[in-house]
Amino acid sequence: MKLIKCIVRPNKVDDVRDALEKLSLAGMTVTDVRGHGRQKGHTAVYRGKEYAVSLLPKVEIEVVVHDNVVEEVIRAIVEAARTGEIGDGRVFVLPVEQGYNIRTGERDVN
Amino acid sequence: MSGQLVTSPRFAGLALLRERFASGFKDPIMRANVLALAGGKLIGLALVMAAMWFFLPTPLHAQAGAPSPEVNAINTMWVLIAAFLVFCMQVGFVMLEAGFARSRESVNILVEGIVDTAICGVTFWAWGFAFMFEPGNGFIGMHGFFLNGLADTYGSTGIPLLAFWVFQFAFADTCSTITSGAMVGRCGFVGDILYSIGVTGFIYPIIGHWGWGPDGWLAVMGPAAFRDFAGSTVVHSIGGAISLAGAIALGPRLGRVFRRDGGGPPLPHNIILGAVGGLILWFGWYGFNPGSTLSGMDMQGIARVSFNTTMAACSAGLTALFYAYVRVKKWDLGLTVNGFLAGLVAITAPCYWVSPTGAFFIGAVSGVIVIWFTDLLEYVRIDDPIGAVPVHLGCGVWGTLALGIFATGQYGLPTPTGMDASVVVKGLLYGGGTQQLLAQAIGSGAVCLATFSVAMVLMYAVKATGTLRVSAQGELEGLDLHEHGMPAYPEYVIHGDSPHFGGTPKSSPSAVGVPVPQPARH
Repeated sequence: MKLIKCIVRPNKVDDVRDALEKLSLAGMTVTDVRGHGRQKGHTAVYRGKEYAVSLLPKVEIEVVVHDNVVEEVIRAIVEAARTGEIGDGRVFVLPVEQGYNIRTGERDVN
Repeated sequence: MSGQLVTSPRFAGLALLRERFASGFKDPIMRANVLALAGGKLIGLALVMAAMWFFLPTPLHAQAGAPSPEVNAINTMWVLIAAFLVFCMQVGFVMLEAGFARSRESVNILVEGIVDTAICGVTFWAWGFAFMFEPGNGFIGMHGFFLNGLADTYGSTGIPLLAFWVFQFAFADTCSTITSGAMVGRCGFVGDILYSIGVTGFIYPIIGHWGWGPDGWLAVMGPAAFRDFAGSTVVHSIGGAISLAGAIALGPRLGRVFRRDGGGPPLPHNIILGAVGGLILWFGWYGFNPGSTLSGMDMQGIARVSFNTTMAACSAGLTALFYAYVRVKKWDLGLTVNGFLAGLVAITAPCYWVSPTGAFFIGAVSGVIVIWFTDLLEYVRIDDPIGAVPVHLGCGVWGTLALGIFATGQYGLPTPTGMDASVVVKGLLYGGGTQQLLAQAIGSGAVCLATFSVAMVLMYAVKATGTLRVSAQGELEGLDLHEHGMPAYPEYVIHGDSPHFGGTPKSSPSAVGVPVPQPARH
């Protein structure tokens, strides 16, 4: 199993979710995060003074999937979340050792 | 000649200057800039001259010698208190709009509410009041620009002119803020300023003159004159019709999917703010309707209007609540708030002339109308983020017509010292025939059609300047950052279901927790 963790633009969350639903993944975890990569933030203005806001709002989406669908899922995320501008985000893939269903106590079969 | 100048050291500097002018004028950009600058100065000069022409001939203090009716203390106090309550509705409007919108356009809504108020104050002083409340012809008032040359008190009311102005300014401001309701989330700030000048400077005062001007054609028409006590038509239908034109000219927000396409309105960002704003509007309505007696001496009138205002809001809130429950099996806060607001809009025209029972039924019907009208807009794919059109246009028309149905015939016209019962207003259900209903239909129809047509022209004219709608990028980023450089909650990381995009109304996402793919189970 792999944990696919991607950081996308807030307004792309729905597109990514729709793309993942097409692959019949059962669910996902979505978190509001702040951060920056090469995109260096924007300027906020308050009472005429400018503030550099370097940490931008982004959304992190996590899904755990089987090894044989990893490529497909990554492709779906990248296609759904891309605008072509700096700040589209990142996708990371991490190995998962074990997974359990809390309600039944069953261990996921790898 | 020029050769001589160049050779003379004394004119060398001058020649250099001339040379620079000549080369500058060959450059088209430079030429355009110079022309624009000079043109702008000329326009500014003309405006200043025009303003002075209005200002100088009869300054206000020069009228001290003019005879004027005595000031009536209690009428003055009553109208000023009502004016302050109506102004308080601005607080309600910005809270309602910001609460029912997405967080990324809240700052924009607040700035627009404040700037619209400021623009309204200036235009209503300069020419709006003259267009609306001063004599001219049936279609427009033509007297008293910059409040010059007017008597100390307004008409026979016994209210100082400036107090009457403050009261009417608060009404004009209400109309102006209603218009922004259906345009939330995608209207550029410059576009907002431009159309606001059109609304508060021209559309509201000129069309308002028809119903409320001393010689407005609807106000003096026979055999039954058009009656609109506090503005179901003059304030709310005008505001709602402009709002509709704005929503059509703008088009829906990006990513807005309508119900018939399997979507629904984006989620609001702060439902508490929205509901509190609605209640503040209800409170402000106690200035809007009872204050429109313009008389603190009409005790029965004030009491009746206050009661009817309350009753219509209550019954409308209840019908909207139960009707929504029947449809979605939940007690819906958003629809209930719009429901009682719809009742308040509807009772605004007839509140002086109907009985408690009449007020109850007028409100009850408007609670259903507002939901049907919302469905209709959804069906024709017009995006009205906070429901300004169903509440103000839909129920404004209903309330105006309801006067012709429910007016009891017991009550006459309000005067500065009480009710004048020599002319009574009687509706269909009380044996008054269709005469009053017909007058109401003519008034409402004429005002709505005229307003909508002119507003469409205005909105498309502003659209042609390219300032009405922000760029797609600016809209996705949110108007707050794009237009004002500041999010509404700059300190916090905002939590919620996709708050930046407003969420989607589909069935709740299947997903809480980290799942594994279904087929892999054995």
